[in-house]
Formats: sequence, structure tokens, C-alpha cells
Amino acid sequence: MRYKSQSVAYWYFAVAMVLFGLQLVFGLLSAAKYLGPDPLLYILPFDVTKVIHTNLLIVWVLTGFMGATYWMIPDESRTELHSVKLAYIQLILWTLMGVSAIIGYLFRYGTGNKLLEQPLPHKIVIVICMLIFLYNIGMTIKKSGRFTTTEGVLLIGLVSSAVLFFPALLYYENYTVSIFYRWWTIHLWVEGVWMMIMGAFLAYLLIRLSGADREVMEKWLYVIVGLVFIAGILGTAHHYYWVGVPQYWLPIGGFFSALEPAALAGMAIYAYSAMRRSGLAHPNSLALHWTVGSAIFALFGAGLLGLAHTFPAVNKWTHGTLITAMHGHAAFYGAYAMIVLAMIVYALPKLTHGRSEEGSTLGYWAFWLQVSGMFGMTLSFATAGLGQVYLERIMGMGYLDAQLKIQVHFLMLIATGSLFALGVALFIYDFFRYRPRFEASEEAIETEPTVTRKR
Amino acid sequence: MTNRQARIFAVASTLIAALIFLVLTLDSHRQFGELTNAENITPEVTRGKDVWHKYNCINCHTLFGEGAYYAPDLTKITQHRGEAYLKAYMRDPSQFYDEQKHRRLMPTQDLSEQEISDLIKFLDWVANVDNQGWPPRPIMVTGAAVSSAFVADTTRDIEDIPGVADDTTPVTEADDPRAKGEYLYRTISPACTACHSTHPGADMAGPTLAGLATRAQAIITSADYQGEAEDVEGYIRESIVAPSAYLVPGSMYSAGGTSFMPQGYDESLTQEQIDQLVAYLATLK
Ligand code: HEM
Ligand code: HEM
Ligand SMILES: [Fe+2]
Repeated sequence: MRYKSQSVAYWYFAVAMVLFGLQLVFGLLSAAKYLGPDPLLYILPFDVTKVIHTNLLIVWVLTGFMGATYWMIPDESRTELHSVKLAYIQLILWTLMGVSAIIGYLFRYGTGNKLLEQPLPHKIVIVICMLIFLYNIGMTIKKSGRFTTTEGVLLIGLVSSAVLFFPALLYYENYTVSIFYRWWTIHLWVEGVWMMIMGAFLAYLLIRLSGADREVMEKWLYVIVGLVFIAGILGTAHHYYWVGVPQYWLPIGGFFSALEPAALAGMAIYAYSAMRRSGLAHPNSLALHWTVGSAIFALFGAGLLGLAHTFPAVNKWTHGTLITAMHGHAAFYGAYAMIVLAMIVYALPKLTHGRSEEGSTLGYWAFWLQVSGMFGMTLSFATAGLGQVYLERIMGMGYLDAQLKIQVHFLMLIATGSLFALGVALFIYDFFRYRPRFEASEEAIETEPTVTRKR
Repeated sequence: MTNRQARIFAVASTLIAALIFLVLTLDSHRQFGELTNAENITPEVTRGKDVWHKYNCINCHTLFGEGAYYAPDLTKITQHRGEAYLKAYMRDPSQFYDEQKHRRLMPTQDLSEQEISDLIKFLDWVANVDNQGWPPRPIMVTGAAVSSAFVADTTRDIEDIPGVADDTTPVTEADDPRAKGEYLYRTISPACTACHSTHPGADMAGPTLAGLATRAQAIITSADYQGEAEDVEGYIRESIVAPSAYLVPGSMYSAGGTSFMPQGYDESLTQEQIDQLVAYLATLK
């Protein structure tokens, strides 16, 4: 850690870890309810466990983004953060918002609008937190006078995320119109501006871990951003199938969202070739696993499995089935969970006392268990979803009867989900094993890149 | 490519895509009213939408295919189930489904009568939104479409199995009215198959129609039959056009003297179609 103020990242990461763990508890509970019968039917029904599962996901990933940004900006701009105090106030407010929203959901206090269930007061606190955050980052960069392209992409991604949250604050009389604007937030986040955030973290990590040339990396970062938006903005239309909007969104959605994997393929090639070309020699090879893993898993989960159901002719049959859950899990995990975990693993040796740069055996177990567990979950959702599409949508079997026929895939989901959860448990344990460090360390005061070239 | 060119590419492609997107958004607003029948969004419908949100329905069900996958899609539910049925169901789902059998049950939501009726108005508005004909085939709540009876019957080819293809050649006028009736049984809206099976013992939202003709004979000759039918055909016709004339016993089939079977077939079907349906159903001995 070169700058003392970077230590705020530790607490953001710590909160993210706890919420990540909780998210899985509610995921496993939800999956168990697929099997049924449900002894908790009147205490903790599926709708409650599911809304908590997805909301915890969003909250912890955003917490991770914020922590990772507070870690990265001082490194890039070569300065202390503008205000450490503000960063802590923001974290406290944010955590209170998240925790009270979750408690509220236990009592069905929410707006019942998928993924945007937060009640209005909570949404307002979210906006306040975002403003504090952006102010703090902006002032840091302004003070330092050093503004890199990587930072620029990250910052625009963060500002746009805040702007795109705006439609979620409005009230819509017409349900179809509310669906239309819900996707301005959700889709344009995950397939637009969050990809800028991911791309920026990726560039930051690759430059440091592989010693790749900054000039080249940043040029390709622009190209990736261009690809993301050419396809991603009009690709929003793949959520405008079958919801009561004009017909022309069908071909537009099919065409442009089919281009979306290009940006993801770009990122995977970017990561892989940076690693190959520069002959990595940074000691933290565990962080490199997570970095390259994220780019590849995102290509699989978002690119490939997104493409699998993005054409209207296919989506007509798969829309609203477990096929969507298959893609949602693999995509979210690969692109956003893994990139946050990569930033954490990269920063952790510098944020804690006594941890080796190379990463421990435990750390590798956590990586491989998670990756294989999530792959298994994706297959379970996929096989369950295919069964559902065939029996219910094509053969016309009743929903409830079709669900009974695919029980075995739910067993598989729980088994692989448990494997995944074990991987996460190891990761969390490894995270909290060493005590945090609050002072800038001597040996880290070097200039980038901190790599020795391997010949 | 230089760094500068790469940046121009990123900015230009973003701006162009955003511009097209905004123009199409404006055009969509021009069309929302007509596509969604916005004039039918009455205060009841709006309150019903609030009920939908307040009780977090979307985190088990889907509407327009969006939501969660723990419970069936409800986009067209008011076309499959009558209002009386939906009201009774909302009061107590456990009267209708057995958790031991299906392993899932909707918990009772404790809605007020007002909330229930608003909710149904909302769902009915949803069912009439022009959403490009989705779902391509009706999504049923219960029932096994490919019954073993169909599979065992080798005189029928695969296209005749319900739900296998919309584009099968419909049975023509020249055909036996019973065959035509069987086609109607699966294809009219709401389809009879949404609630009835023809399997012995397989009661769904409505009682099984296996052995209907035999049962009808027993009913019309029994003492508590108050309807007007005098023969089996008459009874079946009456069940279609005036479902409440005779109530099959069971709290999942009727309440307060009103059958849960959808009303309105007497208006949506022609006289000839009803004849054909009756001819088919009278074969179920
Ligand atoms: C990192 C990127 C991505 C993430 C995190 C992601 C996540 C998700 C999630 C969570 C959903 C379910 C949303 C809901 O119903 O509320 C969804 C739906 C969908 N995604 Fe993605 N996605 C990503 C990229 C992509 C890409 C690149 C494509 C296409 C090539 C794609 C195609 C789709 C389609 C077609 C649906 C709608 C499924 C349906 O309901 O019929 N996604 N995505
Ligand atoms: C132990 C691991 C997990 C299990 C057993 C699990 C299970 C589930 C279940 C049962 C649902 C509800 C699907 C429905 O609506 O019917 C769900 C939704 C979801 N989960 Fe998970 N989950 C797990 C981990 C994760 C992780 C790690 C992520 C992301 C990184 C994630 C992201 C999501 C998303 C985005 C949805 C909404 C999907 C959609 O609506 O299409 N889950 N999960
Ligand atoms: Fe999308």
C-alpha cells in the first residue's frame, strides 16, 4: 500500500465479504424451496428469500466496486484520497441502507419491482451515497492533477451508473412503461456502464500484474468501450420482447444484442494476450487467476449464454424460464463478482499484515471450488431450464407438473451450489485471517509496474 | 490505430447508438397508449398494480415473462381462469392445490376483498396488452398435455397432440363434428384443457371430464338436479353456456352458487361450435 488512505478499501471489502456470504445463505434457501414442501412457507416464503438474495448481490457488488475504486484511484493519481472521513461516512450510510433494506424485506417492506425493490427512502440514501462517493473521487483526482485513461473510464462508468439509477426513482402509471424504464437501469448497468467499470479494473490489474504497456492497454480499453456501447445500448431491446412495446424492437434487439459478445470476447483476448505477451512475473499469481478467470467466465456466462437466448425466435420459448436464471448467474458471477474478488485478492497482501503475495493454498482452493461450483450451478439451471422449456412451453404441460419432472436438476443445483458456497466460505475465511494494516508500507513505495520480466 | 482514433471510435459509437435509442424511445411513447390500451388503465387497475407490487408477487411469479421462476407465468391468467375462480383462489390457495402433491403451494396472502378485485382487474388489463402474441402457446398452471391416452392412440399423428403445433391443418367442415369438437376443446379461448383433463381421476382446476356422459346421465336423473336439461347432450350444452345451472360438489369448483368455470362461452362461441363441442364431449363415456 503506497498511500495510507487506501486502507479504507479494507473496510469496504470486509462489508462486501459479509454480505456475499449472506447472499449465498438466501440463495441456498431459495433453491431448497424449489424442491419443497416448504416448512417455512408462512415464515420465510420464497419471494422473501429470493428478493434478499438478489438485493444482497447488488449491494455487495457495488460495495466492492466502491472499495476497489478507493483502492485504485490513489494508485493511479499518485495521491492520498481527498477525504478518508467522507469515505467512512459513506460506507456507514451505505451499509445501514443495505442492512435495513434487507430487514425490511423480511417484513415485505419493498416496492416489489424486480431488482429495484428498495423502498424510496432507501433509494434516496443510495443516491446520496453515490454523490458523496463521486465527489470524493472527483476531488482526489482534481487535487492530484494526474488523470489516467483507466481512471477516466472507471469514473465515467461510475457517474453513468448513478445517472442511470434516476429512472428507478420515478413512478409509472403504466406497467409496460415501468418495464421499459426498469431496463434503462438494469440492462444499461450490466451490459453498459458496469462493463466500463469492469474494463477499467481489468486494465489496472493487467498493467500491474503482467507489466503490459500502459499505452497499448489503454488504447484497447477504448476499443472495448466502443464495442460495449455500439451493441449494448440498442441491445437493451432484447428486454423489450413480449412486454407490450412496438414490434420493431424485436429485430433491433436480435441484431444488436448478438453483437454484445464481441466486447466480451475482446476483454478475454485482452486479458489473455496481455498475460502471454508480457510474460507475467508479478508474484501475486492468485490475483492473476481471478483477473483472467473473470474475463473468461464473463465471456462464457454473459457472451455465450447470453447469445444463447437473445434472438427473438429463441427467446419466445425461453423467456421467463430457468434458462434466464442460468445466464443471470454465470454472467453476474463472471463479470462482476469475479472482478471484485480479483481486486480484493490483488490488494489484500498490501492491506493486511503477514500475508504472502503469492496467495495461499487456501486461496487457490477458494478459486477452483468457486469456479467449478458456479459452472455446475450453471449446468443445473441449464438442464432444468431446458426441461422446463420443452415440457411446459413446447409440449404444453402445466407449470406445476413440469416442475415436478425436473426435481433432479434442483438436487444438482443444491449440490453444486454447496460446493460453490464452500469456495466462498474459504475465501471469506482467508480474507479475515490476517489483521488489517493502516499505514503505508515502505517496500511498496515503488513506481509501477512492480514486475520483473521473465525471460 | 492510434490512441486518439480509438477514443474517437469509443465516443462516436456511443453517441450514435444513444441517439438512435432515444429517437426510438420517443416513438415508442407515441405507441404505448394504443399497444397497452392505456385508456383501460382505470383507478382499479392502478390499485391492482399497487397490490401486485405490495405483496411482492413478482418474486415468485412472472408477468410478461419477467419476475421469478418459482411459480407460473400470469400474463394471460384471466383468459384461462374466470373471475369467480381467481377470487376464491386468492382467498385461500390451499383449497386448490395440495403441497404434498405439487411440493409447492402459494401462501395465503390475506388480501382484502377490494384488493382481490382490483388485482384481478389489473391482471385482466395485462392479459389484453398487445405483446406480440407471447406466449406462443398457452402456459398452463397444471395438467399433463401429452396424456398417455393421446400417445396410446396410434390413429392420431403427432401434430394432433395439444400444444405440438399451431400450424397443424385444422380439422375441416367436412369432418365429423366430434373431431371438430375435440379440436375446439383444445383451441378455443379459454381452452377447455386449461382446466379439464380427460383422464379418470385427474381433476385439475375443473373436474376431469373422463366418463362425463355416464355421469351426466346420473346427474340429470338425480333428485337434486335443478337444471333444465333432459338428456346428456342437453346437460353438456347447459354446462358450457350456463355453468352455474348445476354445481359439481367441492369448494374448489364453486362458491356462493356460482361456478368458477369462465362465463361467456355462450357469446364467444357460435351455435355450431357449441354443437361440435357437445358432440365430442358426449363421447366421453
Ligand atoms: C455481464 C453481463 C451480463 C449480466 C450481468 C447479465 C445478467 C442478466 C440477468 C440478471 C438477467 C435477468 C434479468 C431479469 O429478468 O430481471 C438477464 C437477462 C437477459 N440477458 Fe443478460 N447479462 C449480461 C450480458 C448479456 C449479454 C451479453 C447478452 C446477449 C448476448 C444477454 C442476454 C440476455 C437476455 C436475452 C436476457 C433476457 C432473458 C429473458 O428474460 O427472456 N445478457 N441478464
Ligand atoms: C449457493 C449459491 C447460489 C444458489 C443456490 C442460488 C440460487 C438462486 C435461486 C434459487 C434464485 C431464484 C431464481 C428464481 O427466480 O426462481 C436465484 C436468483 C438469482 N441469483 Fe442466485 N444463487 C446462488 C448464488 C448466486 C451468485 C454467486 C450470484 C451472482 C454472482 C447469483 C445471482 C443471482 C441472480 C442475478 C438471480 C436472479 C436471476 C433471474 O431472475 O434471472 N446467485 N439464485
Ligand atoms: Fe440485457
